[in-house]
Amino acid sequence: MTLEQPLATRPPRSLAEAAEAHLDDVFGYLLYLTRDRESAEDLTSSTFEKALRLWDRFDPRRGSARTWLLGIARTTALDWFRAEARRRRREEAAALDERVEDVFVEGLSPELEAALTSLSAGEREVLALRIVLELDGDATARVLGISPTAVSTRLSRALKRLEERVNEG
Amino acid sequence: MSVNEIVDELRGSRPRAGDALRLQVLTLASAPQPASPSLRDRLRDRRRLVLALPAAAALAVVAAVAVGVTRPSPAPVASEAIASKATAERSAAPPGAATFAGPAQDAAGAATSKAPAPTTGRAQRYSATLTLGVEDTDALSTATQQALAIAKDLGGYVVSVQYATGDTGAASLTLRVPSGQAATAVTRLSGLGTILAQNVQIDDLQESLDTLDRQVVRLRAQIATLTAAIDRAETAADRARLLERRAQAQAQLQALRANRAATAEVARNATIQLELRTEESSTAPAPGSRLERALDKALAVLAWEAVVVLAILVAAAPLALVAAAVWLTRRTRRRREEERLLAAS
Repeated sequence: MTLEQPLATRPPRSLAEAAEAHLDDVFGYLLYLTRDRESAEDLTSSTFEKALRLWDRFDPRRGSARTWLLGIARTTALDWFRAEARRRRREEAAALDERVEDVFVEGLSPELEAALTSLSAGEREVLALRIVLELDGDATARVLGISPTAVSTRLSRALKRLEERVNEG
Repeated sequence: MSVNEIVDELRGSRPRAGDALRLQVLTLASAPQPASPSLRDRLRDRRRLVLALPAAAALAVVAAVAVGVTRPSPAPVASEAIASKATAERSAAPPGAATFAGPAQDAAGAATSKAPAPTTGRAQRYSATLTLGVEDTDALSTATQQALAIAKDLGGYVVSVQYATGDTGAASLTLRVPSGQAATAVTRLSGLGTILAQNVQIDDLQESLDTLDRQVVRLRAQIATLTAAIDRAETAADRARLLERRAQAQAQLQALRANRAATAEVARNATIQLELRTEESSTAPAPGSRLERALDKALAVLAWEAVVVLAILVAAAPLALVAAAVWLTRRTRRRREEERLLAAS
């Protein structure tokens, strides 16, 4: 009889295994970025489509599956933001604002929800990665493509702004 | 609300994907992976490039070793003694004579030497000295017999043979072959072993023969004149004096004819001095081993490969710098654009 090693301590054998373990992380990150549940769901699907195509390039020695998937999610989200910006410019209408939901994360107090909505996507993503998903500084730095020090600075500012906005309200 | 309370609330409200999305993603992730990436994509993979570099280096080394082992190595250098001998022979050659001397041709002894041939239509003395190395005393015996056979085959003959064997062996043969076959003889004889030294000397004898012919004609005319004078002699004393002079002229004519015949004989046949030595008795220093020569050759090929790679690097360096600058600029611009995008959203 062989003992199965827990997934947390070993790399996933397949994308299905990785998806099962990290779907909520990817979705949560994208939800914080977009503030829109529907868009976050679309982007989550797109992320795993890309991941399926790139799965044979995943190297567990270079980072965890979660970091790898969040990196793909970020690239997918940035493409989405670019497309949204082009669309907004073309239609001369704040389409993104129209799609922002009052409650995009269930279970948050209205003050915190409002404060989060007022932050920029850059601030929300560092909060999502470091606070909500509890990634460490190095993993967050890999996802964002910046240094761990920059992550720490960005997180500190985001938390400070969030605190100010919450207490303002 | 403090930061700690905010953090706790954020962590306590961690978003969860809905069941529909979960089913959709898990179905998608369980699907078979699309077809393997193309060769171009594979080559783009940096991990493969990391493997390709040492593989290319290994290939270069293997190619160099293969060339070093398979290509024939240059001939071992002839011994200083033999080279000195050839130089001495050249310096001793009389003016107007042509001397051709050369060291060994091939370490394996497989190649034959293309010897110069005497000029057709002119009387010339052709002398050749050939020093060959053979593997052992058995090969020495075989080579000696073959040399005798070659001389006979070309219409020549053996003037002398000295043959001695012990732990090592040596043979010295003096052969004479018709001058017209001299070059062929040297070429065929050089194939009997490894050429350690070769010297061919050609002296022109035509001028000497022409001089002798003119002297013969003059003496004949002188003898004819003396014979006529003897017939017309009025006194016994005059007759006796003329008879003595004619006898002297006739003796000179006979000597000239003998001299001419000897010169013509020298021109008719070439003399070839063939020295055969077993490798152990050769005075030539032992050439480097096959392994050493192969290594030298491989190192030379590696040096050339390094030169080529260096040349490519020098040529490609400006392009690589430009490409790196373009890549860095694009990356910086893309990051700034992403920052702006995320700050505005």
